[in-house]
Amino acid sequence: MRAPTLILRLAVRNLFRQKRRTVLTATVVVVGIGLLVLGEAVIAGSEDNIVVSAIDALVGHVQARPADYPTQPMQHPVDKLLTIDAPTTAWLNQHTVAWTGRQLFTPTLIFGGEGLRVRAFGYDPVRDAKVFPRDLWKVRGRQPDPVKDEILVSRGVAKLLDIQPGDRLVLQTRTHLGAMNALEVQVAGIVATTQTVLDSMSVLLPLPLSARLLDSAQPTHLSLRFASRDLAPAAKVELARLLGRQATVVTWQDETRELVELVGTKKGAMQLMVAILMLLAGFGIANTLLMAAYERVREVGTLRALGLTEGGVVALFVVEGGLVGVMGSLVGVAWGGALSLYWQVHPMELAATEAMGANLPMSSLLYTRFDPWSLFAAAVFGVAVAMVASILPARTAARAAPADAVRAE
Amino acid sequence: MAICELHGVTKTYGTGATRVDAIQVIDLIIEAGEFTVLSGPSGSGKTTLLNQVGCLDAPSEGELLLDGRSTRGLTSRQLSHLRGEKIGFIFQSFNLIPVLTATENVELALQLAGRSDGAHEAALAMLPQVGLGGLEHRRPNELSGGQQQRVAIARALVKKPLLVIADEPTANLDSANGEQVLSLMQELNESLGITFLFSTHDPRVLAHARRVIYLEDGRVVRDEVRQPPATRRRQSGTRPSGEVA
Ligand SMILES: Nc1ncnc2c1ncn2[C@@H]1O[C@H](COP(=O)(O)OP(=O)(O)OP(=O)(O)O)[C@@H](O)[C@H]1O
Ligand SMILES: [Mg+2]
Repeated sequence: MRAPTLILRLAVRNLFRQKRRTVLTATVVVVGIGLLVLGEAVIAGSEDNIVVSAIDALVGHVQARPADYPTQPMQHPVDKLLTIDAPTTAWLNQHTVAWTGRQLFTPTLIFGGEGLRVRAFGYDPVRDAKVFPRDLWKVRGRQPDPVKDEILVSRGVAKLLDIQPGDRLVLQTRTHLGAMNALEVQVAGIVATTQTVLDSMSVLLPLPLSARLLDSAQPTHLSLRFASRDLAPAAKVELARLLGRQATVVTWQDETRELVELVGTKKGAMQLMVAILMLLAGFGIANTLLMAAYERVREVGTLRALGLTEGGVVALFVVEGGLVGVMGSLVGVAWGGALSLYWQVHPMELAATEAMGANLPMSSLLYTRFDPWSLFAAAVFGVAVAMVASILPARTAARAAPADAVRAE
Repeated sequence: MAICELHGVTKTYGTGATRVDAIQVIDLIIEAGEFTVLSGPSGSGKTTLLNQVGCLDAPSEGELLLDGRSTRGLTSRQLSHLRGEKIGFIFQSFNLIPVLTATENVELALQLAGRSDGAHEAALAMLPQVGLGGLEHRRPNELSGGQQQRVAIARALVKKPLLVIADEPTANLDSANGEQVLSLMQELNESLGITFLFSTHDPRVLAHARRVIYLEDGRVVRDEVRQPPATRRRQSGTRPSGEVA
C-alpha cells in the first residue's frame, strides 16, 4: 500500500477530530478489557485460594478419615477413630515431609449462660504447624499451654459470644464411646487465621486436651504433606492400602474439585459480561466510524481521486478503529493489571465471609493471580474486536463512487 | 503529442424513465501542454466529461486513452494508481484534507503517486512556487479560500502529472482571487508545460483559455482555438471533434 505513514498520521489526527466521541468509544473498551484482566486474575486467584487453603488449613496434600465419614458441614462424628499401626507410621515417617493427626468434633461451648455448638480442632502442638502453616495466623492473647486446659477461640465465636482472652468457658461433648463429658477451659487467645472454616464457628485446642474430652488420643483425621503437591495421587493409593477398610483417603484435588468447578462457572459468567461489554464496544466503534464515513465522504473521495485505493480507504478506517482499540486496551490493561497486581500483593480482606462463608473452605483474603500473559491476550483481544468492528464502516466508506464523493457536501 | 483521447465516449445515468444521457458520444483529443476550457450551460455534461477524463468514472460506452494507453478493463486498484500517477485534480471546493497541513496535503499527492522518497522536501519546495512561502504548516482552516486553492494547485502539480483536471476552480473565489489563481495556473502551464483541462461558467476564465470546447446536451457543439498572446510560446492547433490524431 502506498503512503502508509501518511495514512497512519491521518488516522491518528482523525481520532482527535471528535475527541468526545473517541473518548466515549474507547471508554467502553477500557472498562471491558480492564474487567477481563481483573476477572481472570480474581478467578485464577480464587482457584489458587481454594487449593491453597484446602492444603494449608484443612486437608494437607493427602488426608485420611474414617470410612463413610459424612460430608455435610458441622458433621464430625467421633464414634469411629483412625488406628495408625506401626508399618503405617514407618511409611509416614519415611515418605512424607510432615504428617499429623487431628481430632475434629462438635462440642457445645457454654459461656455466659449461652450454649453454642462449635467445631473443635484438636491439634498436635508439635506436628500440626508442620503440615498446616500458621504464617497468617494472628492471635490476640497467646498460644494455649498444652499442659494446661487452654484453648484458642476463633474470632467468629469470640465476636458472637463476646469472649475475651482469659475468659473461662465449658466445652461439653460426647466421648468416642458416646458418654457425656465436659471440661472447664481457659481462653488463651482469640485467633484469626484468614481461613473461613477455622475463623467461623471453631475452637482450637491442643490434642492432650481434646483427647481428654473424647476419651481417646486417636485422631479422626490424618493429614500428610509432601515435598510437592503433585505426589498426592500416588500417596493416596499407598496410604489407602496401609490403612485398609477403616479409612477413606482423599487428595487435595478430590477435596477442591467441586469448589474449583463452581468458580469455573463464575468464570463463564464473567466472560459473558465481558463479551457483552466488548460487543457494546464493537458497536460503539462501528457506529462512530460509520458516522465518520458519512461525514467524510468528500474527504475520502478526494483521497480516492489522489490515488488511494479502496483497500487503502479500508486500511485507513480499520487503523482508526484499531487505534481506539489500542488506546482503550492499553488503559484497560493498565487499570485491570494494576489492581490485579495490587491485590496479589495486598489481598483484600472480605469482611462478609466470616458469616456467609463459614462452610466454604477458602481464605477470607481475596487475592488475585497476576499473569502478564493475560494482559497481552486481553489487549490483543481488545484491538482485534475494534478492528473487526471497523471493517463494515470501512467498506462503506471505500465503496462511495469517487466521482460523486469529491463533490459531496 | 496526444496525451488523452476519447473515442465514442458516452455516459448514461439511470434507466428507463429516469435515464439521462449526460454525454451523447464524444470524440476528443487533448494535446500535451494545452490550456483548455470546457464551457457550456449548466447540465451540459462538463463535470461528467471531466470525470471520464480523470478516471473517476468509467464511460458507458467508448474508450479513453491516457498517454496512449487504453483505460478499458482496468481494475479499481489500477485506476487508483493511474489517477495517483498521472492526473492532478483541482476542485471547486478545494477539497484539502482538513487534518493535514499545507505541506502534508501536497506531500500526500506524491506519496499516493508512489513517490515517497523526498516527498516532504518536494512539497516544501512547491509551496513558495504557488505563493505560499511561510504558510507551510498551516492547516486548511487557517488559510483563506484563495490560499486553500493554491495549496490544491500545488498538490495537483507537485507530481508533474500528465494532465490537471479542474472543475470550476474559481467558482468559490472572489474575482481578485479567481484571477490570481487563474494566472498562477497559466504560469505553471507555461513554465512546467503541464496540460490543463478546466470546466467553467466564468467568462474571465474563458479569457485565459487557448482552446475552448463548448458542450450542449452532452455533445461538443464548438471547439475553437484562441489566438494566443504574443508572449506565449506553445501553440495548439484547431482540431475538429471526432477526428483521431
Ligand atoms: N450521478 C448522476 N446521476 C444522474 N444524473 C446525473 C448524475 N450526474 C450528472 N447527472 C446528469 O447529467 C447531466 C450532466 O451533468 P453535469 O454535472 O455533467 O453537468 P455540468 O455541465 O457539469 O453542469 P454544471 O455547469 O451545473 O456543473 C445533467 O443532466 C445531470 O443532471
Ligand atoms: Mg459541473
